[in-house]
Amino acid sequence: MDTVLSGLATGFAVALDPFNLMLVLVGCFLGTLIGALPGLGPINGVAILLPIAYGLGFQPEAALILLAGIYYGAEYGGRISSILLNVPGDAGAVMTTLDGNPMARNGEAGRALSLSAVASFVGGTFAVILMSLFAPALAKFAVTFGPADYVALMVFAFASLASLVGKSTVKTLLGATIGLMLATIGIDANTGVARYTFGIPDILAGIDFLIVVVGLFGMAELLSLVEHQARGTLKSLPVDRSFVRMADLAQTKWTIARASVIGFFIGILPGTGASVASAVAYGTEKRISDTHGTFGTGDVRGLAAPEAANNAAAGGSMVPMLTLGIPGSGTTAILLGALLMFNIQPGPMMFAQRPEVAWGLVASMYIGNVALLVINLPLVGLFARMLTIPQHYLTPLIAVLAFIGIYTIVGNPHDLFMITMLGVFGWFLRKLDFSLAPIILGFVLGGLFEDNLRRALSISGGDWGILVQNWKSVLLYLLALLVVLVPVVLARRARKVAAA
Amino acid sequence: MTDRIFAAVLLAVTIGYAVIAFTVISAPFQYDPLGPESWPQILSIVAVLCLLYILWRPDDVTMDLTRSVWFRLGAAVALLLAYGRLYEPLGFVIATILFGTIMALMLSAPRWGAVAFGVAAGVLGWLLCVTVMDLNLPEGAVVEALLETFNKEGN
Repeated sequence: MDTVLSGLATGFAVALDPFNLMLVLVGCFLGTLIGALPGLGPINGVAILLPIAYGLGFQPEAALILLAGIYYGAEYGGRISSILLNVPGDAGAVMTTLDGNPMARNGEAGRALSLSAVASFVGGTFAVILMSLFAPALAKFAVTFGPADYVALMVFAFASLASLVGKSTVKTLLGATIGLMLATIGIDANTGVARYTFGIPDILAGIDFLIVVVGLFGMAELLSLVEHQARGTLKSLPVDRSFVRMADLAQTKWTIARASVIGFFIGILPGTGASVASAVAYGTEKRISDTHGTFGTGDVRGLAAPEAANNAAAGGSMVPMLTLGIPGSGTTAILLGALLMFNIQPGPMMFAQRPEVAWGLVASMYIGNVALLVINLPLVGLFARMLTIPQHYLTPLIAVLAFIGIYTIVGNPHDLFMITMLGVFGWFLRKLDFSLAPIILGFVLGGLFEDNLRRALSISGGDWGILVQNWKSVLLYLLALLVVLVPVVLARRARKVAAA
Repeated sequence: MTDRIFAAVLLAVTIGYAVIAFTVISAPFQYDPLGPESWPQILSIVAVLCLLYILWRPDDVTMDLTRSVWFRLGAAVALLLAYGRLYEPLGFVIATILFGTIMALMLSAPRWGAVAFGVAAGVLGWLLCVTVMDLNLPEGAVVEALLETFNKEGN
């Protein structure tokens, strides 16, 4: 408890520094704007703005605070386009459309927006509190992990990814493998042997993380926007003067509490972020409290549950990133890559070695949540205006921002070509029902995975048995097996029930 | 079908990756049981297995795009490539004005709106990024030459 309190004190000292405080506010504001744009979600927003944030030459903790602000700001803003347009910004906001949009069509847009802001605030704050309690303890435990345990942890991360994310398990696994393969390009740090560089000097140090992120998430998104252009203009519902009532809060208080817990713990699972969390929370709530069949017609509980859950998951997915160096979602994978660019290795030692970064981030999330609620209640009309930005201006603007970011960092026009080609590749993958988050997760974790495997085998002198010699790694393999098998068994049982 | 074609192309690439892993990569000397080639070998086997599964049981996805959508996507990619190619020679301001205007026009923006957008993106983008945030963007060989002659005439 003492470490938590003193850590928080360090953190708030960092986060309340006037400059960092300004960055929290700017990040939250920008994030909400981006999240509100139809079709753009947190992951695209962070991907497009990451190079620019890096190019500004901030301290690592300042850049991270800004990016994290954009991340949960966008998680907040996503509800606006879900409710008013019925167009979710990303997979995590899909569930919000189910009851949010009917409420807006019933003329209660203001009530839906303010209630979801409160639910997001509670979910987000709950997650940060649990995070500051759990993360240091988990980090202390993770210090005892050896290379073999890390290999098991990676296997668990990819198993939960494959089983819970995306439509097809094989495609998710293949995506992660593609990411791992991309990470092998460049000089092998252990032996100095060049792998897959084909004599091109630009990629001796490996493919730049920023190029992969901006290409797969920024440019591929842009091509999707171009693709969907023809399908007519979107019609936004007006924001009226209705507002959340005390009765709404009383009715949804247990819903929000349950959804926050579900969201946080699903968020912790490596690889599974807001999309799984909000779907599970909505499903659970529907089973528990939908006694009159009102879910899907504008029920306040159906709106509060996914919103509390996806913000709680955003906080939860920070936990494994900060304590184990294993990101909990696609977006935190990008944040992890950002830390690596600053030469900070996230992992168990980070709370001890770089407390100003780790605790500064945690403290900024407390402030960010309050700031988001304060910004969102009165300014929701302004954010709703973003919905009417015509797509024919938004689309070229994404390209301009992406090019500025990449050119500023790398300063090489060849990379502008690279991000465009990666964008085409990413667009194809998305058309074929691949989800892109596993690729980025594989790419970020590739080096760590390989290093630990090689180190483990060096320790054992080539005996593969070392991978299962420790109770920690055996437990993790069992958990991995469980994560893969449980959904299969549940699906089979559901089919049997349906058949009977 | 689309799934199969894509998997077949990826399989060809992966086999190339595997051949390099199994034949080309090797360390001149090493003490560790796993060399630089082992990890790519493992990955290529996993990827080949996944791809064979997709070839065996492809998902039912189709690229149900009309010809005009394909054309628009192709044009967008061509514009992006041209934008990247001209970024340094023309400089940020001119390249962005051209790209912004043409892209917006292609996405059926009103004519003057597209021009206004392009000019705003180029000029405001430069002012904001270079003057305010001190980022590094290309001035452009053409612009530089013009500025130089202008300065000489001024003298």
